[in-house]
Amino acid sequence: MIQEFYKKINGNYEVAISRMQNDERIKKYLNFFLMDESYKSLEEGMNSNDCEMAFRGAHTLKGVCQNMAFTYLSTIVEQITEELRAKDIEKAKLTFKKVKEEYEKVIEEIHKIM
Amino acid sequence: MEERDTILIVDDVMINRELLKDIFEKGEYELLEAKDGEEAIEILEENKEKIVLIFLDLVMPKKNGLEVLHHMSLNNMINTIPVIMITGEATVESDVKAYELGAADIIYKPFEPAVVTRRAKNIIELYKHRTFMEKELEARNQELLESKKQIENSNTFLINALSSVVEFRSLESGEHIQRVKKFTEIMLRHWRALYGEKQFSNEQIELIVNASALHDIGKIAIPDNILLKSGRLTDEEYAEMKKHTIYGCQMLEKFKQEENEFYRYCYDICRYHHERYDGRGYPDGLVGDAIPVWAQIVAVVDVYDALVSKRVYKASFTIQETYRMINDGECGIFSPKLLKCFNDAKEDIIANTSKEQMGEEN
Repeated sequence: MIQEFYKKINGNYEVAISRMQNDERIKKYLNFFLMDESYKSLEEGMNSNDCEMAFRGAHTLKGVCQNMAFTYLSTIVEQITEELRAKDIEKAKLTFKKVKEEYEKVIEEIHKIM
Repeated sequence: MEERDTILIVDDVMINRELLKDIFEKGEYELLEAKDGEEAIEILEENKEKIVLIFLDLVMPKKNGLEVLHHMSLNNMINTIPVIMITGEATVESDVKAYELGAADIIYKPFEPAVVTRRAKNIIELYKHRTFMEKELEARNQELLESKKQIENSNTFLINALSSVVEFRSLESGEHIQRVKKFTEIMLRHWRALYGEKQFSNEQIELIVNASALHDIGKIAIPDNILLKSGRLTDEEYAEMKKHTIYGCQMLEKFKQEENEFYRYCYDICRYHHERYDGRGYPDGLVGDAIPVWAQIVAVVDVYDALVSKRVYKASFTIQETYRMINDGECGIFSPKLLKCFNDAKEDIIANTSKEQMGEEN
């Protein structure tokens, strides 16, 4: 079930299981991921053109996605992090559409297996 | 002290903290966590004796990781508590800064449990070893200090023994020398207070005070019929008596140590403690500041102690009378600077002048 989930969201199950030991644990962390507020901060920053706030949210979200081994999501979050670091808000807005779409998909998939 | 047994995990992201907690959950360590720099510092202050390792995130709200490191450097914790920085990406500047502020190691997200545990173990061992070595070193230093103290004590003992030989022979009590030492020390401290810090260090004062004990060592070479004569000395006898200054130096020269500060003080004090500022002292008739200060100081305290003490052949003078005689030049001329110091030290000197030595009944 968990393995399938990772496949659907283009994540790396092997890495996740080596890091978190077993499916039980991974589930615990998926639950934490739902509670994590870094995406909210990224979204709020993007909506209010607050580059600083958006950057902090993106930066944290990137770390979380890497730890969760959400390979694809972490790649595009990394991209937006760098754009926000360079204060290129226009480019970041384009990337954000992709981030939003992918993030919502991941959340939806998590809810399905919880 | 109790063994340190707690790992502090500092990260603003709960998932990151949980991952690290899981890694150490089954280990031998207690775990504490903080979600920002401020909280980390609070926990640190409360548990600084217990914490064995800190995992510290770089980018955090309130206070960031570098600020926590800075706090630890300021408060002397950085050398006893190792810090492993956790960071999302390697930027050379922040890495360099972290190492500069004393971080023990840096690991990058995402965590690999095996790597994290291995590094943590290594660093804890390293710091344990280091603290142990430092304690050993300190204990060794303490031993050195103690043996130095013992050597100093034996030196003082030998000097006292040597100088009391003379007193024993001249049938005086051994206390004159102890008082000359005390008064010399008082004078040196007042001299320093009056004329500046540069004059005498504590070590120099100690050396000069010890040297002052030997001022009359040359009297050992004066024949009994002169040294012990109770009546007035003839001119010839007096001329021989004066030679104790030279005899003292001759004795010292036999075991001369080149470039030795203590030897220098002993020599000067033996030879010049009967010289006077106007050149009318002996043996060399030195004038003014050609007489070393330490010899001038011993000269004045030697005269003072002789005058206020009761001897078989004379009564004692009162302290006030003694002070007046010395200031008026009735015991030879002393330098104005020296007299100023002598008067400045009056209270201390009086406090160390005993009624017994003056022959008073309480």
